[in-house]
Amino acid sequence: MKKITALSILFLCLTQVSCKDDFLVTTDSTRIGTDLFYQNQAQFEQAVNGVYGQLQTITNAAYLFQEFNTDNTTLDFNPLDRGGAAGWEALEFSTVNPGNGEISNLWNLHYSTLYNINYALEKLGPSTVDATAKKEIEGQLKFLRGYHYFNLVRYFGDVVLVTSTLKNPDEAFNLIRSPQAAIYTQIETDLKEAATLLPAKHVAAKVGRATQGTALALLGKVYLTKKQYPEAVTTLKQILTLGYSLPAKYADVFDPAKKNGPESIFEVQYQGGNDLGEQSNFMYVFAPRLSQGAVTGFANTAPAGRNIPTNDLIAAFEPGDLRRDVSLQASYTLNGTVVPIPFINKYRHPHTITGRTDNNWPVLRYADVLLMLAEAINEASGPTAEAFGYVNQVRTRAGLKEVSGLAKDAFRTAVLKERRVELAFENHRWFDLQRTNTPAELAAFLNAHGAKEKAKPTVARGGIAFNALDYVYSDFEYYLPIPAPQILINSKLTQNSGY
Amino acid sequence: MKILYQIVAFGLLVGGYAPVAQAQDTNKQRTKPMVDRATLVAFHGPESQLHRASVALADVVVAGKVIDEKGSGLPGVSVIMKGSTQGTTTDGEGSYRLSVPNERATLVFSFVGYTRQEVVVGTQTTLTVTLLPDDQTLNEVVVVGYGSQRRQDITSAISVISMRDIGEQPANNPNQALQGRAAGVVVKQKSGTPGGNIFEVRVRGIGSLGAGSDPLYVIDGFAVGTSVGQNLNPNDVESISILKDAASTAIYGARGSNGVVLITTKSGKEGKVGINLSLDYGIQSTPRSRRVTMLNGVEFAQFKKDIFMDGIRYFQKREPTIDEVPIGYRFPEQTKFSTDWFGEIMDNNAPYTDMNLTISSGKGPIKSLLSVGYYKEAGTIIKTNYDRFSARSNLSGQVNKFLSIGMNINGTYTKQNLANTDGRSNLVGGALLMDPREPVYNADGTLRPYIGGVDGAFGFPNPVFVLNNVLRRRTIFDLLTNLYADVAILKNLSFRSSINAKITYNNFKDYIPSTIGLSVASGTAGAPPRIATSQENTEQLINYSLDELLTYTPNIGANHNINALLGFTSQQETVRSVAGSANTFPDDLVPFLGAGSIRSSNSNEFGFSLLAYFGRVNYAYKDRYLASASFRREGSSRFGAQNKYGDFPAASVGWRISEESFFPKTSWVNDLKLRASWGVTGNNNIGNYPSLAFVGANNYILGNTFVPGKVVSSFANSELKWEKSNQLDIGLDLALFNNKLTFTLEYYNKLTNDMLLPISIPAVSGFTTSLANIGKVENKGIELGSEFRTSIGQINFRTNANITFNRNKILAIKGANDMLYYGGFYGGYNVQKVGRPVGMIYGYKKLGIFNTQAEIDASPRQDGVIPGGMKFADTNGDGVITYDTQDMVEIGNPNPAFTWGWTVAADYKKFDVNVLFLGAHDFDIYRNIEASTMNMDGVFNVLDKAKDRWRSPENPGSNPLAKNSQGGTNFFKWSRESSERYVYDGSYVWLKTITLGYTLPKLKSVLSDARIFVTANNLFLFSKYPGNNPDAGVRGGTELNNDDESYPVPRTLAVGAKINF
Repeated sequence: MKKITALSILFLCLTQVSCKDDFLVTTDSTRIGTDLFYQNQAQFEQAVNGVYGQLQTITNAAYLFQEFNTDNTTLDFNPLDRGGAAGWEALEFSTVNPGNGEISNLWNLHYSTLYNINYALEKLGPSTVDATAKKEIEGQLKFLRGYHYFNLVRYFGDVVLVTSTLKNPDEAFNLIRSPQAAIYTQIETDLKEAATLLPAKHVAAKVGRATQGTALALLGKVYLTKKQYPEAVTTLKQILTLGYSLPAKYADVFDPAKKNGPESIFEVQYQGGNDLGEQSNFMYVFAPRLSQGAVTGFANTAPAGRNIPTNDLIAAFEPGDLRRDVSLQASYTLNGTVVPIPFINKYRHPHTITGRTDNNWPVLRYADVLLMLAEAINEASGPTAEAFGYVNQVRTRAGLKEVSGLAKDAFRTAVLKERRVELAFENHRWFDLQRTNTPAELAAFLNAHGAKEKAKPTVARGGIAFNALDYVYSDFEYYLPIPAPQILINSKLTQNSGY
Repeated sequence: MKILYQIVAFGLLVGGYAPVAQAQDTNKQRTKPMVDRATLVAFHGPESQLHRASVALADVVVAGKVIDEKGSGLPGVSVIMKGSTQGTTTDGEGSYRLSVPNERATLVFSFVGYTRQEVVVGTQTTLTVTLLPDDQTLNEVVVVGYGSQRRQDITSAISVISMRDIGEQPANNPNQALQGRAAGVVVKQKSGTPGGNIFEVRVRGIGSLGAGSDPLYVIDGFAVGTSVGQNLNPNDVESISILKDAASTAIYGARGSNGVVLITTKSGKEGKVGINLSLDYGIQSTPRSRRVTMLNGVEFAQFKKDIFMDGIRYFQKREPTIDEVPIGYRFPEQTKFSTDWFGEIMDNNAPYTDMNLTISSGKGPIKSLLSVGYYKEAGTIIKTNYDRFSARSNLSGQVNKFLSIGMNINGTYTKQNLANTDGRSNLVGGALLMDPREPVYNADGTLRPYIGGVDGAFGFPNPVFVLNNVLRRRTIFDLLTNLYADVAILKNLSFRSSINAKITYNNFKDYIPSTIGLSVASGTAGAPPRIATSQENTEQLINYSLDELLTYTPNIGANHNINALLGFTSQQETVRSVAGSANTFPDDLVPFLGAGSIRSSNSNEFGFSLLAYFGRVNYAYKDRYLASASFRREGSSRFGAQNKYGDFPAASVGWRISEESFFPKTSWVNDLKLRASWGVTGNNNIGNYPSLAFVGANNYILGNTFVPGKVVSSFANSELKWEKSNQLDIGLDLALFNNKLTFTLEYYNKLTNDMLLPISIPAVSGFTTSLANIGKVENKGIELGSEFRTSIGQINFRTNANITFNRNKILAIKGANDMLYYGGFYGGYNVQKVGRPVGMIYGYKKLGIFNTQAEIDASPRQDGVIPGGMKFADTNGDGVITYDTQDMVEIGNPNPAFTWGWTVAADYKKFDVNVLFLGAHDFDIYRNIEASTMNMDGVFNVLDKAKDRWRSPENPGSNPLAKNSQGGTNFFKWSRESSERYVYDGSYVWLKTITLGYTLPKLKSVLSDARIFVTANNLFLFSKYPGNNPDAGVRGGTELNNDDESYPVPRTLAVGAKINF
């Protein structure tokens, strides 16, 4: 009898846990499973915000591929610690190879963002989100997809086109690069749809998101890049009626106190002064290495010293150009000593916490649209009065006299020069050069600039000579190399010729 | 909730037995003889039947003494009449007196640690018996998974380490006892951090590339995880069994792949009451011979002057004038100070104290052992130390004939004052790199907070100042407890239910005051004040398991011996943590988070659960043919919905040839056993939720207001399953000359399949890595262990040696040509490549140093190289040495060809000695720190050997072609990339421990036994390796042997006493 009691207790013990089926089902209670998300409007809004959050990361490093590698800016050369700066040196001195980690990051971040866009779009379709909200969310996601592909196609040429999410990692091994034309078709489709889906203006709580004007401005830029000038003119002209204007003071455009002002078409949003982790820190990346607090305003900071304005760019400002001092300073003063290393001033504003600035990053603004329009009209129908008018709107604000009477080629040159100074340090230079030059012309142009820098470097080099291959550009550098790790992982991915 | 549920269930179980127990008691009083008989049958098996009839007959009195091999009386020896429960124990002098029924009675003398002896009484009335120490004898009982087995019956690969054999050695961690003592078990002490969890234990090689290779630790039957932690006082350990092959580990299923370390703690011994006090005191230091030599102040100034002038000579092609040389090093001979920064942070007399008091009682129904220990260790780096207070209570006892219960409780409190020491960017490496021309103290005797940043030398915070001013502390409260009940259900069926729990509170706090500057800062940019920062993390871990075991030992005739086990276990671990950080403190007066102006906090919770059913049958026929089979089916929360459960079978057979009738009955072969085993084990160390996908925060600003955002963080992979190993083991055990000489030879082949590996996937998928079951690794090897013990006159001599040859090979990753790179372009790569051993060191192959531009022009293109740069091989033959991994090849193998351990022990009269040697041969170390300590930019101090550097074609140093010579005087490029330049042979022989002991004469009625000893640990290292510790490595996992200068492993000299009252 006792034995039976004992045995029955034994079986009680043996079965007690196993009858609880959920014993082996655990989830991470500190995170949200994907299966629980993407259900309602609030969650889709968060998914869109998440993609914008990724855009911040991309924007933080974008200067490397759009300003740093051009004639606009250079590196605050550190003769003592070149080992740590090898990756930056490669970008600045045009000795990039496919192993460059920054290029790998650039590629990976774009596709990570595209995954989230595609994922949200796929979930949005069958969801029960109400039609109006759905329309705006879809518009946002499509604009963002167009934006990222437009960057990718200009950086790398042919790229992999992914418009849906993969169910299994193995599928990724079958994806190969599509021709540029196919990418551009997708970009145009997305941006055109976005232009119809997005509102012309957002309620205050959503200011910072793309609008109809944003989609049109980007689409205009796509046409300009593809040299479809009449389409560019038609598209860009639609923006003129959307209520944008140039504020009287150029400095206002970059003032964190006047974010998303009348000229702003699209800015990447940041916020400093708190612990929310949404700050920018461009000033700290751009200020000269040894400037300590002279530029940042906080003693004992150690800025990175990248993106230093070149002598060539400083000389490009016409005398009396009001934009010059807003955009850059030729030297800083530390402990009473003037140090002649120039620095970018556009993103330098008082802030309350070290390393956390409040500056937004301008992506598209009305001045850009006016100059694009001038360029497109000139290319489509010559330097008309209308075209001059758009350029002169921009010049007038800069305190410069109007231009007139230029022939088509001279007008093209003038607009490009105007773009260089008006939009300096706003990540336009590389794509402007790429757009307006053939690969051979671009290489020749940059080699000429390199020769100038080698002869008289903007930043002293501590007695260290240039390498023979520094600032030597070839045609193939018109596009960045496909990151080597990606080709190692998937040999079906081809490399750009030359690398 | 689940815990509560189980505790209640357990309570039910015990409660359920209370009435049963009472009933038994009543029974016992009424029909005593019958119960005695039943018990006797249950506990002693068939042979006792012979004596059953004689239990109650007339008496013969036998008296005598039990002595040990030295002739001293042995107290506490159990003397029992065979086949009965009648018996006694010897008194303090070793004497006993016992009544036996008749002359045919056999007395059994047994005492833990000594060979059991049986003596037929016969006509003798005085019986003096000598018990011999029972080491490695065939009857020794070995702890195995969920039970124990006689050594002679074992058919799998198990190494046993008895703490008694080790002698006294300073140990702050039980892992130290494993070092060199068991074949196939390689223990590396990776750094000298006091009390740190710094031992890396590998059983039969590295079996996994992605899921970790640490063994499972089981303490008193409780599988605590892959780390023994800091909670266990080594003084409380009785013995350690290491299960090596799949036949022994498969019973631990999903956690058995990397071997299992079974730790048994001490318990009260039968019949013995003892008070034991042990005291150790020692001094630790890093000997001069194991430190690197850097340039002194004058030499460094000269070095800076030379490289400055060499630079002008090379780049400007002219002879510099003396006035061009910066004043700071223009006249090296006038250098005022010369600081040995490394010496400044060292404590050459760092004491440690270990005090333990153990009280044990084996008298009465409850055997008990109580122990308290206090361990205090100062680190050899100033201001680092470790304190541990531990208390243990082990109780076990027979409630009645059917029920016995036991409980172990171990509580530990540890406190560690830490510093960031390992690596060039921390204190140890950093101290080497500092400008020796700078003094530690100001003229007024105060510490200088910040050093250097002049003349192009990088600035560092003063490490002495850092150690004195930075607070970095970890405290851990740890409770480890087991509770079990054993029920004899039938005469040969018993049931054990146990509940085990581990509860840990871990608190980490640091405060870095504003006076600490930045390391490796150019100029004075890094000088303080900086923003003060602080963080504090508290973590609470609860791990409990519930085991139910049913053991059946049927009696089916004298020739058959069967032992069967059926079990069920469930385990759950939950970790909850709260972390806070703060910065920007108004002053450094209040080092608490609340004082910071900017604060943030975080909390977390994670865990896992597993449950398993298992069974095992051991069978022996005539003690000659042995067989064993086990099976475990286990489920884990960590795996995908489709693959929650895994099956882990194992089987083994043994043949004791020496028991065969045809085997010649020579007197010198005592045992010859052949055995073979095969089994499947698993590995589940892949984190808690790898099969699920989550959305993570990625926020944004809209309308200049914070808005939450979400992105997907990983691919969900619901198909993830166990990483499984198949292991084959063939072994041979041989005992010769009355067991004086024993050999164990093992061959094993372990194949790990379905390896859990984060694989790189094309980024166009949205992610760069994904965890998948791919890949195969093979480890195969030979282990040989041997022991010899003998007595020559009054000298008892014992020696034990083991040697291990392990070879591992990656058989597949994803594709046949896949490679995985770990590490970096400037820090050395460890590469996992199909067809090659794990963790091969990768880099450029060095051909020499370029002397002239002409040599450069004549060689394959190496962009940017100038004379003095290293010449690397164009291994892919494309005419270019590209600045990436394309031309990199294997430049070193981090896996030793063989490792060995050798113990020699002897005693003579009252003296004893115990010596341990360790060795590892033919393996390479990537000495990463030399990329900084031989940096020719003049920004860091450099090694003494930099004086012999390449300076110009005319002055190329004494041996520019030597593999480890450094070029690159004038230009950084091609001087610090991962290359053969940094690869050194690490082979070593280490005289690890020497102990000399003396046993004090007995002091009647006060001291029953006392021993004093002196001991030395890490005494002499014989190696050509230029670093402090050839076991060092700053990276984990499969990134082997990357030495970036860690906390040095000290030499310890200690004295101690062990006193038994």
